[in-house]
Amino acid sequence: MSGDHTGPAATIAARVRHVEALLEQRGLVDAQELDRALEAFLARASPANGARLAARAWLDGGFRARLLADANAALPELGLSMGGGLQEQRLKVVENTEDSHNVIVCTLCSCYPIALLGPSPTWYKSEAYRSRVVRDPRGVLREFGFEPGPDVKINVWDSSAESRYMVLPRRPAGTGDLDEPALAALVTRSGLIGVAPV
Amino acid sequence: MSRINDVGGMQGFPPVEQEADEPAFHADWEAHVFALNRALIGHGVYNLDEFRDAIERMPPQEYLASSYYEKWFRAIATLLAEKGVLTEEEMAGG
Amino acid sequence: MAELFSPGDRVRTSLTDPPHHTRLPRYARGAVGTVVEHQGRHPLPDRRARQLPAEPEPVYTVRFAAAELFGEGDHTVTIDLWESYLRPAAPEVTR
Repeated sequence: MSGDHTGPAATIAARVRHVEALLEQRGLVDAQELDRALEAFLARASPANGARLAARAWLDGGFRARLLADANAALPELGLSMGGGLQEQRLKVVENTEDSHNVIVCTLCSCYPIALLGPSPTWYKSEAYRSRVVRDPRGVLREFGFEPGPDVKINVWDSSAESRYMVLPRRPAGTGDLDEPALAALVTRSGLIGVAPV
Repeated sequence: MSRINDVGGMQGFPPVEQEADEPAFHADWEAHVFALNRALIGHGVYNLDEFRDAIERMPPQEYLASSYYEKWFRAIATLLAEKGVLTEEEMAGG
Repeated sequence: MAELFSPGDRVRTSLTDPPHHTRLPRYARGAVGTVVEHQGRHPLPDRRARQLPAEPEPVYTVRFAAAELFGEGDHTVTIDLWESYLRPAAPEVTR
């Protein structure tokens, strides 16, 4: 490693800055354009979007059916979309029921509906999660503190192509008198991935 | 060849590590790598499949030792060199 | 080019270990599953990654029993697979 200018001696932050500067000099990227695009993306995409979709689906059976049948067409009803990225991807929403539970993964890399939910958690992208959840979903869910009953059928979705997946969690019991925002507040990113009940 | 990224079902990995309330990016450079990749793909320097392929071609030991965005940056640098956009020497300088 | 497979069809995945980028995970090679639904048509990433011309081809959501993939487990794994990764499998025998 001696004499290697790109080795550990140069921090990754410096190396990224350097490459970005070179690309700017060549006119291939524009620093301000990058910053603006990033800001817009982070402001628009977050798990709160998924939470709103879940809450609306719990309250409105027609919306729930539309969301499950064609999520991309249903998203604009809440002012949401899967656009804003490199290309609009197909969103597939999969519903948890009393006797079935869904978990999402991308074993090959890290595919995730970032256009809707924002960046995925680091654990979702880890080799530990990607390797183990397809083989032992109950074991992985147990690590997240969640143990579906033995009669609950678990299905793991490996996002290996162009579709991106989101779980529609079950509405928790005892929430009959909550309004839509209060219901949305119950939904976590983990629930939308399927490693938590909601 | 079966590549190191293809870990589904592979045994031996540890329990899943969770970080409470983690930010979207843990450092500024990660956000820059994210934005840079989008811009380069958007401008047609390479496509998304080439990007994934470049990550997969990392030496296995380096792949497993790298953080997520370190893998991204390594792939971006590989493609920029292979496509003749920047040379290794240019990227090493500064 | 019409879709080869329809929902409910049994399919078997390729056993090949390709010397290039692919989106068929190794844990699902040579496995029999059931087509759940069509996923649209997209160019094969195996070719796109090498900048080879690739016409859009059907992609399918295919469900596999864990026991089929790993020899154990009571769950299912559902994977999105390009038609090039699949061929017909014999229908399931029921007694």
